[in-house]
Amino acid sequence: MYRWLDERLNLERFKKKYLSKVFPVHPTFFFGEIALFSFVILVLTGIYLLFSYVPSSEIVTVGGKKMPASYYSILLINKQPLGLIIRYVHHWAAHLMIAALILHMARVFFTGSFKKPREINWLVGMILFTLAILAGFTGYSLPFDALSVVATGIGYEIANSIPYIGHAIANFFFNGHFPASGSLPRLFMYHVVLLPALLSATIGLHMLIMIKQKHTQPAKNKEIVGPDKILGIPLYPQQISLMLFVFLSTTALLFFMASLLPVHNVEYFGPPTLQTPMVKPDWYLLWIYGIIKLIPGSWNIPLSATASIDPEVIGGVIAPGIILTIIALAPFFYKNDEFVNHLEPVSKRPIGTSLGVAFIVLFIVLSFTGYQAELNIPIWVCRIYTVVLPIIAFVITYLIIKKPFRS
Amino acid sequence: MSEKDRKLESSCEACVHRRKILKGLIGVAGLGASLGFLASFGTIKPEEKKKGRRKINKGDKLVFAVGDMANKVITVDSLPVGKGTLAYPKGKEDHDNLILLFHAKYDEFEKPTKLKFVTKEGFAAYSAICTHMGCTVEWYPNKQFSFNFPHLFCPCHQSVFDVFHGAKVLAGPAPRPLPQLPIMVANNEIVAAGDFDGPIGPLPGGK
Repeated sequence: MYRWLDERLNLERFKKKYLSKVFPVHPTFFFGEIALFSFVILVLTGIYLLFSYVPSSEIVTVGGKKMPASYYSILLINKQPLGLIIRYVHHWAAHLMIAALILHMARVFFTGSFKKPREINWLVGMILFTLAILAGFTGYSLPFDALSVVATGIGYEIANSIPYIGHAIANFFFNGHFPASGSLPRLFMYHVVLLPALLSATIGLHMLIMIKQKHTQPAKNKEIVGPDKILGIPLYPQQISLMLFVFLSTTALLFFMASLLPVHNVEYFGPPTLQTPMVKPDWYLLWIYGIIKLIPGSWNIPLSATASIDPEVIGGVIAPGIILTIIALAPFFYKNDEFVNHLEPVSKRPIGTSLGVAFIVLFIVLSFTGYQAELNIPIWVCRIYTVVLPIIAFVITYLIIKKPFRS
Repeated sequence: MSEKDRKLESSCEACVHRRKILKGLIGVAGLGASLGFLASFGTIKPEEKKKGRRKINKGDKLVFAVGDMANKVITVDSLPVGKGTLAYPKGKEDHDNLILLFHAKYDEFEKPTKLKFVTKEGFAAYSAICTHMGCTVEWYPNKQFSFNFPHLFCPCHQSVFDVFHGAKVLAGPAPRPLPQLPIMVANNEIVAAGDFDGPIGPLPGGK
């Protein structure tokens, strides 16, 4: 059988070229794989859900109760023998994918693996990350329960707040003033066609560039095999079995979480009503929510009689945009000509590393600000924390790396 | 490229090479096709550009929007002091017409509340659509978080509106106070005395 295929497809060549690709080994090199496998599980569970989900916000009457058709289809999915657990796995896989992406980015950043020659792949990774967040956001809207409608409506209003073009953009992407009757079918299309296609293409590109440029590897490998060679295990059979192990562990973890931790129970919030439930965005959007709460309502720069830069656009678009752009441009702040192919100790990038820690603290502080009212912290205190804590984090990290007090 | 081709090409130094022209043409065709494809998306028209709202006129009766009494006309006795409810103008139940009506003591209202829009019984009404991101505000007659007095509260970003001072913003990111709805009492029923005194909900960043 193998010979028959080899004669026609030249499998030997493929085997030599790709299956023997060398993977350096390090305990932190698996975050990207976990994100990738979460994506695979998202696609598989997503296909299962597509068999029963109805993308329509039209109101149906079931047993005397009125609800959107999509909401009712989710109730039916929940009643299927495996429906509920597959839904929960899908939801947790989305969280795990974004968490793994963040850890992967942090690993690449703190080991200097984003520097020359891997600037392009850092940018591709940022696009991938943005697409994953958009997929999470559009996925949120699909049950069309009270939570979905509020969360998606806020997304509409943020887009709507952009001066001059915002109104047209928001109406284009949400197919009218959300919740218009055409909004849910459109969001559904983004979630199951456009974003998965773009994600697949971006993941493919990310991996192709990685294969072409090869992995960065632990610095001690340099002493063992020299600076130009890679020390590691071949894709087949060692790395494949490791990957299989990671894949099965990821799947097991997700089913474990889905069985014990219910998530987005549509019946808890119920179909949309006139009242707005107390909701918070998912943890990975909580930092933007925090910024929106921090920006004073008085920050308003009029541009013309009908247009202005208002606090909504500053908090929802401009500030997050600046933060994400700075992260995306990180590799271009380094003007080195040398190729970085081995993990760099943080002492080589004291300022970059300290900034990285400061950004992480900033994200945490902003996320806490999302719970400012519940924690009874006045907003002006949050404003001070948001500025001061990242600076303190920067200084402490810098001092730890530089060790100026060591005799 | 064969030896013959190379000779042919070098013999014609002044003219543009066929290969270059073809490459250019492929580029132009590719760009044109992509732009054309993208432009076709520009012809997609959104379904509803703006949510319509019928103007509230003097004499429109207010009805409960939620609860057991939904769609019943609100009378003076159906809402005791300290209570509030979501309401609609009867027959004009458009989302942007959602009203928050509450009952307090008349003496507690102060400027900038438009006092002539508050009834002598102590009823006042505001738009229930938050001016920040369009969520529905709620009536909190009692303490909540650090606010130890009756207030209107938006659950989305925790904006707090002062009910006795023209719904001005006390906390949170809301940029404007809630528009007030003039109301009066006629035949023991709460009726509108005109339309809201300002634009409803969040304003688009510009057109």
